[in-house]
Amino acid sequence: MIDLKNIHVTFNAGSPLETRALRGIDLNIPEGQFLTVIGSNGAGKSTSLNSIAGIVPVGQGSVVVNGINITKWAVHKRSKIISRVFQDPKMGTCENLSILENYAIACGRTQPKGFGFAVNSNIREQAAKNLSVLGLGLEDRLNDMVGLLSGGQRQALSLLMATTGDTKVLLLDEHTAALDPKTAAFVMELTNKLVKKLNLTVVMVTHSMSQALETGDRTIMFHQGKIIFDITGEERANMQVKDLLDLFKRDQGQELADDSLLLS
Amino acid sequence: MSYYEFMGTLELAFIFAILALGAFITFKILDFPDLTVEGSFPFGASVAAVLITSGLPVLSNPWVATFCAGIAGFGAGYLTATLNVKFKILHILSGILVATALYSINIRVMDGPNEPLLNVDTVYTWFDTVEVMASFEAKTLFLGALIIVIKLLLDAFLSTGIGLSMRAAGANPEMARANGINVDKMKLYGLGIANALAGVSGALFAQTIGASDAQSGIGMIIIGLASVIIGMSLMPSRLMWQATFAVILGTVAYRSAIAVALNADGTGLNASDLQMVTAGLVILVLVAQYYSRNYFAAKKGRKS
Repeated sequence: MIDLKNIHVTFNAGSPLETRALRGIDLNIPEGQFLTVIGSNGAGKSTSLNSIAGIVPVGQGSVVVNGINITKWAVHKRSKIISRVFQDPKMGTCENLSILENYAIACGRTQPKGFGFAVNSNIREQAAKNLSVLGLGLEDRLNDMVGLLSGGQRQALSLLMATTGDTKVLLLDEHTAALDPKTAAFVMELTNKLVKKLNLTVVMVTHSMSQALETGDRTIMFHQGKIIFDITGEERANMQVKDLLDLFKRDQGQELADDSLLLS
Repeated sequence: MSYYEFMGTLELAFIFAILALGAFITFKILDFPDLTVEGSFPFGASVAAVLITSGLPVLSNPWVATFCAGIAGFGAGYLTATLNVKFKILHILSGILVATALYSINIRVMDGPNEPLLNVDTVYTWFDTVEVMASFEAKTLFLGALIIVIKLLLDAFLSTGIGLSMRAAGANPEMARANGINVDKMKLYGLGIANALAGVSGALFAQTIGASDAQSGIGMIIIGLASVIIGMSLMPSRLMWQATFAVILGTVAYRSAIAVALNADGTGLNASDLQMVTAGLVILVLVAQYYSRNYFAAKKGRKS
C-alpha cells in the first residue's frame, strides 16, 4: 500500500528558475492495485514516482508505504521495500557485470551485504530457473556480460530483477518507452504476468494514453503538478482515448497540447 | 641490464603493484579518480619508519609497523571519500586537498623531511640470513609471493556480497541504489582499501630504500595509473581475477620499460628524468590506444 499525503516538490527553490513540480498531491494506492499515471511533459508524473522512490526529496508532506513512514529514508534504504524499473534499459542493469552477477545483486537487495560469496550454486540455480520463464535463452548465458544483451533483453532482465525478493511495491517509469513496439508488447505482457503472479502494488508512468487505459485497474492524470482526474472501475473500462481528451478539455477548458500522449 | 638490476626492478615492481591494485580499485572499479595516493604512499612510509625507529614494544616490529601504515592509508582514503560524498567536494579536488595536507603531516610525523632506517630491523632483515640464495633474490621472491597473496585476497573480496556491491556502485550508481546498495558507503570503504594498499606499498618501499622521504609521493598516482592502463592494454579482460593479474603484469612491464630507458647507454637520460619518462610512457600508451581504437573501428566499418 502506498499513501501520499499533501506532497509538495519545488525545484530550484528560491531561485529565478523555481518550479513547483508537485502542488499538494494526495494519493492512496491500496495493496494489489495497478495504477497507471499519465500526463504531458513536466506535469509531475515522474516527479511523483521519484518522490516515492526517494530520488526527489519532498519539501512537504509524507510518503507512507506498507504502513511505514519513509519520507526521510535514502533511496537505497527504500529499495528494500520498493523496487523499480527505469525507462532506459541501460540504467536498470550493470553492463560490465555478468547476467548472473546482476541477478545476485538483485537477490541481495533486501539483505545486508556481507562477506559471503555473492554468487553461489543456490543463486545460480535460482537465476537459471527464473530466467527460463522469459523464453529468451538467457539461462544459458549466465556468465555473459549484460552489455552484450539487446535493450529488450536488458529490460526483461531488469523486470525480473525488480521482482525477485519479497518487495511488494513496483514502480515502472515508462519502462517500455525506449523499446520497439514488438519488444514493448513483450515486456508489457511479462509485466502483467509477474504483477498478477506476485500480487504486486504497481505504479506505472506512461506517455501513452491507450497503454494507460488498457493496463492495470486505475488511471490518474497529472497536469501542472496536480492530479486532475482519477478514474477506475466501469467508467474506466468503457473509456477510449478520445473520451479522456474530452474529459481533459471539459475540466481544463483547453486542448491538450502534447501529441506524444496520443501516440501508440 | 644485469641479473642483479633485473631482480631489483622486479622488487620495486612488486612493491608498486600493491599501489597499482589500489589504483585499480579507485579508477576502474569505483570510477573515482583518486589522487590521495600522492599523500597516502609517503604517509604509510612515514608512519612505518617512525614506528620502526621508535623502539616501542610491539609497534616497532616492522610487520606491525607496516600494518599500521595500511591503517594510516585507510584513514587518508576514508577522509578523501568523506569530503566527496558528505560535503560534495569534487572527487579530484578532495584527493588533492588530502594529499596536500598529508605532505605537511608527513613532515610532522617524521619531525623532519625524512627518516632514515639505518641499523634497525625491517621486514627484509630476516632474508639476509637465508642461506639457499642471495638476500636480494629472497627479497624479490618474498615480495612476489606477497603480491600474489594480496591479489588473491582482493579477488576473493570482490566476489563477496560487499565486493560485488562495490563494483555495481562504481559501474552504475543508480542501479546500485535501486538494489539497496549504499553507494556512499562503498566509496568510503573502496577508497579506504585502495589507500591502505598505497600505505603498505609506501612502508615496504621505505624499508627497501632504507629511508622514508616526504617527497617520495610525487608521481605515485601516475605510477599506479600507468600500471593499470598498461596492464589493461597488454591483457584486456572482463573477468576480475584476470584484470587484477593484468595490473600486476602492467606494473612489471612499466617498471621494466622505465629501467631500460634510464639504464640504456646513449639515451642521455638519468635518474632525475624518471617523472618525465613516466609521463611520456603513459602518454605513449594512451595515444597508441586511441589509434588502435580508430583503426579497429574503421576496419569494422568497412566490413559491415
